[in-house]
Amino acid sequence: MKRILRLSVAAIAIAAASPLAAQTLTITTAGGDYGTAMKEAMWGPAAAELGIEVREETQSDGFAALKMQVTSGAVTTDVIHLGSPEGAQAAAQGLLEPIDYSIIDPKSLPAGAESAYCYPFSSYGTVMAWNTKTIGEKPPASWAEFWDVKAFPGTRALRANAQDLIEIALLSEGVAPSEVYTVLDSAEGLKRAIDRLEVLKPNVSVWWTSGAQSAQILKDGEADLVVTWNGRAESVKADGGAANYSFKGSVIGTDCLAVPKGSANKDAAMKLIAAMTKPERGAKLTNYIAYGPLNPKAYEGGLIPAERLQLLATAPGNVETSVFSKADWWVKNGDAAQAAFDEMMNR
Amino acid sequence: MSAAAYLQDARRERRFYLSLALPALVLVGFAALLPVAWILRQSFLDLGGNFTTANYGKILSSGLTWSALGTTLALSGTTLVLCMILGIPLALTLASTSTRIANRVLILIMLPLWTSILVRTYGWLVLLRKDGLVNAALQSLGLTDAPLPLVYNFNGTLIGMVHYMLPLFVLPVYAAMRDIDSNIIRAAASMGAGLWHCVRTVILPLSAGGILSGSTIVFIYTLGFFITPAVLGGGKVNPISIRIDRTLSTFQDWGSASALGVLLLVLVLLTGAMLFATRWFLNRGTRHA
Repeated sequence: MKRILRLSVAAIAIAAASPLAAQTLTITTAGGDYGTAMKEAMWGPAAAELGIEVREETQSDGFAALKMQVTSGAVTTDVIHLGSPEGAQAAAQGLLEPIDYSIIDPKSLPAGAESAYCYPFSSYGTVMAWNTKTIGEKPPASWAEFWDVKAFPGTRALRANAQDLIEIALLSEGVAPSEVYTVLDSAEGLKRAIDRLEVLKPNVSVWWTSGAQSAQILKDGEADLVVTWNGRAESVKADGGAANYSFKGSVIGTDCLAVPKGSANKDAAMKLIAAMTKPERGAKLTNYIAYGPLNPKAYEGGLIPAERLQLLATAPGNVETSVFSKADWWVKNGDAAQAAFDEMMNR
Repeated sequence: MSAAAYLQDARRERRFYLSLALPALVLVGFAALLPVAWILRQSFLDLGGNFTTANYGKILSSGLTWSALGTTLALSGTTLVLCMILGIPLALTLASTSTRIANRVLILIMLPLWTSILVRTYGWLVLLRKDGLVNAALQSLGLTDAPLPLVYNFNGTLIGMVHYMLPLFVLPVYAAMRDIDSNIIRAAASMGAGLWHCVRTVILPLSAGGILSGSTIVFIYTLGFFITPAVLGGGKVNPISIRIDRTLSTFQDWGSASALGVLLLVLVLLTGAMLFATRWFLNRGTRHA
């Protein structure tokens, strides 16, 4: 008994002493395949390089966790992974520390992607996918054709969320990708997009709520045409599902890294973000998941193998017809857009 | 022993039972009432933590709340009616067979109740989806040309809900029917009452208490159903529970979500009060008859 006591005292002493040897940071990720990819490609190697210890927490709803921690004054995470609209929203609510661009190189971001509070590090596309058994080899070539229920009479599955869909609705009416947010900012813009979705509504058999569900629907052939994320569509295709997808008119969204307001290790957290988003690490992320880095240098010098590159929404050849989701627009108009969307769904 | 001693004894006994119930009472107090109190408080706070009634104004003026309320009542009401149509004859059949057979059938009825609701809901998805077992069977038998839309809609949600609630409905109804003195039924039959007449005038009135208990369980339980409409509704069936989830996850509006929670609670309390009033009325009726 005494021995066990002595051993446990020793264990506690060692545990208590270790932060002196190495600083411990906590990173909160979304878990799953994505979380694993980030660990293997990004923060794992970065922690080794910086000689710090990094602990991982996973949260399916990072924003809710962040809000809980900051408002209760018990901030346990130092770096958190958010979607860019949530990042902008969290910044607007004062939940984040500003990104320290004296530690992180501001030139590591392409023009238009800069963000004061949440550093964008990876991107994904919302794409059109289809069942190759029922749609065959001649899928809709554009969102306009996706809306053409006479030429393509199959069932549709869309996400039960206005995000990306209202942009897609406008593309389907022939709005140029560069004009989408100009139209949305106009008085009638949102209504126009919602009305366009309502036109397609009778042909929507499922409104999905999670990425995994959209993959299931595509794989099972529950719907013939599915709007989903490129990573999900690619996994279904790679697993031998009768599915294919196209980057034509995709809506590109980004995920970002932020430091919660009141983090005890603010500077170290900024250093970790800088180290984990180095070009070679962003490039390596694509080995695990088809989400492309933001850092333009990651696309140089063959860091990303050609066969992986063509799977990324941001790759040359895929990106030309895309709309970049505008986080600022969503922070300002997100509630109104979602409410109008929900009303359309329940009409 | 004197009357006073009897009284004291009875009091001691009551205290003893109360002390036995104390752990459960404390648990209910902490695990149920405290969170409800927290939600109630949250529903009166704005983003800055100041008192406001704006959350209620917001949800009560939104058409989405009312359509969600309509969907909730439609789902619960239809589930209840289907449980009655399926459950009362089932309970009647069970009550009229030997206890030995009835107990075995009851085990079969209870079996799904011991399976996780998530597993059962996804089970229905496998059966009912476009290339699922039911559609495959219908098509291979030549009964239908194209797959029927059995799931990702109101009917699919209803199937899942009725399947979940039926055992919970049948049990109290069966118990009440078992309790009916068979001599009364025999008396009715000997007076020339036919089978249907007997069911209508003797069995159903005498098992009304059980039917009411079953109905209470089904209706109140289904008011808060979330998983079944979320998985089988395909985004087209949106009761209050789904509205609460969306208000939290899409709008991050904890105040309005809490207000919706309070609304659901009020709905449950109102329904409960109504059903208890009916029970009281029924009991009074039988006592005076």
